[in-house]
Amino acid sequence: MGSEMTFYENLSQRGVSRRDFLKFCGSTAAVLGLSSTFVPTLASKIAGAAESGLTPAIWATGGKCTGCLESTLQATYPNVADIVLDLLTLNYSAASMATGKYAGEAKKGVYEGDRPFIMIYEGAIMTGLGGNTLVNADKTTSLDDLEHVMHSPNLKAIIAMGQCAVDGGWTRAFPNPAGGMGIKYYLEQEGLDHVPVVNLPGCPASPEELTAVVVQALLLGSDGTLETGIQAVAADLDRLNRPKYLYNATIHDSCPRRGHFENGEFVHRYGSDAEKKNWCVYPMGCKGPQTYRRCPMMRWNDAQSWCVESGGICIGCATWNWVDNNAPFKGRHRRVGANNILPGVWKGGINPIGTAAALTGVVAAALVAHGFGMKAAGRCGKNATLKTEEMKEYDRKRLKKQGGA
Amino acid sequence: MPGKLTKRSTHPFFVFTHWVNAMAMLFLTISGLYIAFPIINGFMGVARGTHFFWMFVLLINIIARIVSMFFIKCACEQGGECVEYDYKNWFPQKTNRHQMWPMIKYYLFFKKDYPITAKYAGLQKLAYWLSIILTFAIAYTGFALWGPTQDWIIFRIGNEIVGSLFGFGGGDGLMAMRLIHHWLMWFILIFTCIHGYLANIYGPSASRLIFLYKDKK
Amino acid sequence: MATPNITMDPITRIEGQLAVECVAENGVIVDAWSVSKLFRGIEVVLKGRAPEDAFYVTQRMCGVCPTSHGHASSKAVEAIDPSFRLPNGARIVRNILEGAEWLHSHIFHFYALAALDYVNPAKALQADIANTIALAKEKGIAIDDYAAVQARVLKLVQGGDLSIFTNGWWGIDPVANPEEADELYNPDMPAELHLIGVAQYLKGLEMQAVAAQIIAIIGGKFPMPMTSVAGGTAWMPRADKLDDCLFRLKEVADFIKRQMIPYTFAIAPYYVSALSYGQGVGNFLSWGCFDRSSMTPENRYLPAGFIKSAVGLNVVNRPDPKMVTEDVGRSWYKNSSNLMPFDGATEPVTNFEYDLGGKYSWGKAPKYAGDPMEAGPLARILVAYMDTDSPTNSLIRGVVDNAVATLGIELTDLVSTLGRVAARNLEAAVAAELAFEWVDELVVELRKGRADFWTSYSARSGEGVATWEAPRGALAHYIKTAGGRIENYQIVTPSTWILSPRNDDGAPGPMEAALIGTPVANIERPIEAARVIRSFDP
Repeated sequence: MGSEMTFYENLSQRGVSRRDFLKFCGSTAAVLGLSSTFVPTLASKIAGAAESGLTPAIWATGGKCTGCLESTLQATYPNVADIVLDLLTLNYSAASMATGKYAGEAKKGVYEGDRPFIMIYEGAIMTGLGGNTLVNADKTTSLDDLEHVMHSPNLKAIIAMGQCAVDGGWTRAFPNPAGGMGIKYYLEQEGLDHVPVVNLPGCPASPEELTAVVVQALLLGSDGTLETGIQAVAADLDRLNRPKYLYNATIHDSCPRRGHFENGEFVHRYGSDAEKKNWCVYPMGCKGPQTYRRCPMMRWNDAQSWCVESGGICIGCATWNWVDNNAPFKGRHRRVGANNILPGVWKGGINPIGTAAALTGVVAAALVAHGFGMKAAGRCGKNATLKTEEMKEYDRKRLKKQGGA
Repeated sequence: MPGKLTKRSTHPFFVFTHWVNAMAMLFLTISGLYIAFPIINGFMGVARGTHFFWMFVLLINIIARIVSMFFIKCACEQGGECVEYDYKNWFPQKTNRHQMWPMIKYYLFFKKDYPITAKYAGLQKLAYWLSIILTFAIAYTGFALWGPTQDWIIFRIGNEIVGSLFGFGGGDGLMAMRLIHHWLMWFILIFTCIHGYLANIYGPSASRLIFLYKDKK
Repeated sequence: MATPNITMDPITRIEGQLAVECVAENGVIVDAWSVSKLFRGIEVVLKGRAPEDAFYVTQRMCGVCPTSHGHASSKAVEAIDPSFRLPNGARIVRNILEGAEWLHSHIFHFYALAALDYVNPAKALQADIANTIALAKEKGIAIDDYAAVQARVLKLVQGGDLSIFTNGWWGIDPVANPEEADELYNPDMPAELHLIGVAQYLKGLEMQAVAAQIIAIIGGKFPMPMTSVAGGTAWMPRADKLDDCLFRLKEVADFIKRQMIPYTFAIAPYYVSALSYGQGVGNFLSWGCFDRSSMTPENRYLPAGFIKSAVGLNVVNRPDPKMVTEDVGRSWYKNSSNLMPFDGATEPVTNFEYDLGGKYSWGKAPKYAGDPMEAGPLARILVAYMDTDSPTNSLIRGVVDNAVATLGIELTDLVSTLGRVAARNLEAAVAAELAFEWVDELVVELRKGRADFWTSYSARSGEGVATWEAPRGALAHYIKTAGGRIENYQIVTPSTWILSPRNDDGAPGPMEAALIGTPVANIERPIEAARVIRSFDP
């Protein structure tokens, strides 16, 4: 961005008032879990960074549905988020480039250039058939593309945008026919994990989460540049490589319908009066209690709504391997077996609750049968053949040893 | 428990803890099932309150029971006169020796006579130990799911481990932990069924003693 | 087989992963291959899962049209139960949701994806603001703050940071070589029109978000709305929420009517050449979309029908989803070819080889009664136009006849690259108009006081097929269940139809056919081919 124009002039140029901008900082602070006293700090940090310079970024893609990019385009206060994301100049994105080799050249320009850059990765790493499940017309694969970027010494950080980039998303669900994988795990496997990866799980990832990372990077960066900032963010991740403040509460804990949950006011059927009253959808299979994300607070599409607010359930799209871990979505518990432990043993898995209850029933029935057997064998009651005298003998010996009577 | 049981075989405190155990397990099972499957409306608060209350009761109770075995004496042979500290009942005794296999054969109808055994047979002791382990395990999984303790490092690690077992590839593990919590309940129920059956198959004397502390009609 | 001398990989500004290889001789493409690059295997993943789960998982096929996949999936599951009848309230809510998806998708496609093939942002700098306003008035385009837009573009160009427009000129630096860059477009097109285009491009980005907000209000979020579950909808309309939808709908409809449509008419004369190439296979398929209360595909707001070039453009027949077969002779699958999707299989090859003479795509080659079919807005518009029994016929005729008259072309000219783009924009206008109708309908339904939004169904075992339309074309989900689990799930997406590789008879897919015969002025910068490709919204 040109230095002759101040940040606020720049904002008004894009039709964003100062007020809008502060509102944006407020909502970003909320997503980051900061108090509202941080808003002025945020505002000055963003303004400062926007005036000082840009970090080039590559938006690279693997096996994706474009949902995360779509999602980014639905950003809150589009113009402001646009500016924050402009702190990264998207020098390569398949979504906005000219076609063919020129797109490739733009990408090369970044990773063979001499400026530090970051990579935003959308989609799963497709490892199936030697990488040919995502093949290029020059007979190379997306894995080769990734390797080229990884070998650049200027790559400072990777943001894994969305569940597919984090762990393979639905692509890696059993039986993982195309070999989908998360970028972090793929890089570890290939020994290319010299660059920190910031995971932003969720299907899709939300623009608020991405801007929150960018803003947090501005707050944490020591020299004010985004690349050191993102490295600082990456140094402070939780064990699943997620920014701590973005994924530290379950959906259930901050759900506006939580009161109905505690009161036992449940929806048992879609389209019912209970649903009209916005009661809790827990019995419909809501996975809010085991999903760490900030949906109830940040909400979606310019904070219009979110899944549960509109009457749907949370399917836990930000949990690891969510399709296997949370299906069937209408049930409270996942089915067991549709995973790597018992590959293909049970098609579709078994119902863990039904199986456990049935097992208990079988044991109970066996005991009843055994009881009849005992009765028939004449072992019950007084007829039991007991060696009572011999047992008493032991007792007497013991008593003697103790020196008693 | 074919042998004759007298008041000497137990202690009023054990009768008390046994009562508390039974009540706690009953309330925890019912409230737990309701929490998982709230088929009728209105009782989630009650069920959760009940669940947490009895969870603490059960934990305190089981710890009290374990501590008390070092301070309270009772008979250690069936119908015996000799009393010992209760903890001795929990470890192998002379009368347990070479008794396990004949006991299995006896219950599978391959052997006619009831083998010689101490007050608690070898299998029985194992089962009781298992019940203590199961209780602590279900408590652990419960705390790993419970909001206030979920973030404690000890429970975080557990969540992570079961997450990588059942969710393979890491993850928060809450779904897997919830499943294990649930399964443990069924294991405890299975234990309770077997326990209740074996305690009563030879007649009501054992139950009369442990619930009412009466040894004769 | 000649070696391809044009390789476009990746095809950018599309949803998904696509490459195209062409052979051009003497400035004309003589052969083309459409390579779907990505295999994820959703049909394999779905096997053994609960039928209801397909609603959530299939949405993740496509991040631009998740709503349509969700609806098709729910309808397929419902179709298993012969006694199921979708509650009227749910029908209307789904129509509104799907309508919003179309508005979002069409705006997004025209501006964010396709417009830069026709509009040169760098040339917008040469525009005179007063002339621009006059031109906009003349063309009936609502006036925007063109000075601000121009200043913004200027800033981008001066800063050397072109942001979203980076490298949009096929390797030409639009600042150093403005003339050369303009060669890509029509140099006769005035700078003012380019400026209006850039202004609308920016506005369009906002409008697609506004349309998506309607989806979010009803469905919880976009992408991946969550409420159109099998059995009806989980969303319970409330007056305030409906109001939120309505004013956004007004905003979007207004944008389409006063900006998008007149602008399409304004630039079309500069690209009449695009009327002469990209005709494609000439067979059109529409499964029909937006149910009326009768719930039959032929009675939908956009009716089901197919047109075959061999029979004639004006003969519409009712399609049967069981007449679809998929060939895999040229695709990287090893299962047998020519299968009806109910019995379809998705088994990737084990020996992978990229061979344009053999297998070269992850897409299957679907056929309707033996022929490749074009799907999409053009197919739907043609079917609705020709189907005189349809209650929507007069509305469509009005819109299309007006467009044809304004542009001074024949109806048959619509079967072309430019026609395809125009048809999409016209359809956006139709969808906006219909959406208001549905909101009114919903209000009437709610006033009755006993609107129903969900009803139970049984999907334990049986087979069901749902035919529906995604914004980009015909979509069918085929499901077979047994014992409450999915036994087989096959999806024939619009992309499968459009981006189809050659089928086993050697007939090229619609996009391949459209590319063949397309003139390419410069094989280093085949923008004409890119126009053809993007006109399909691949």
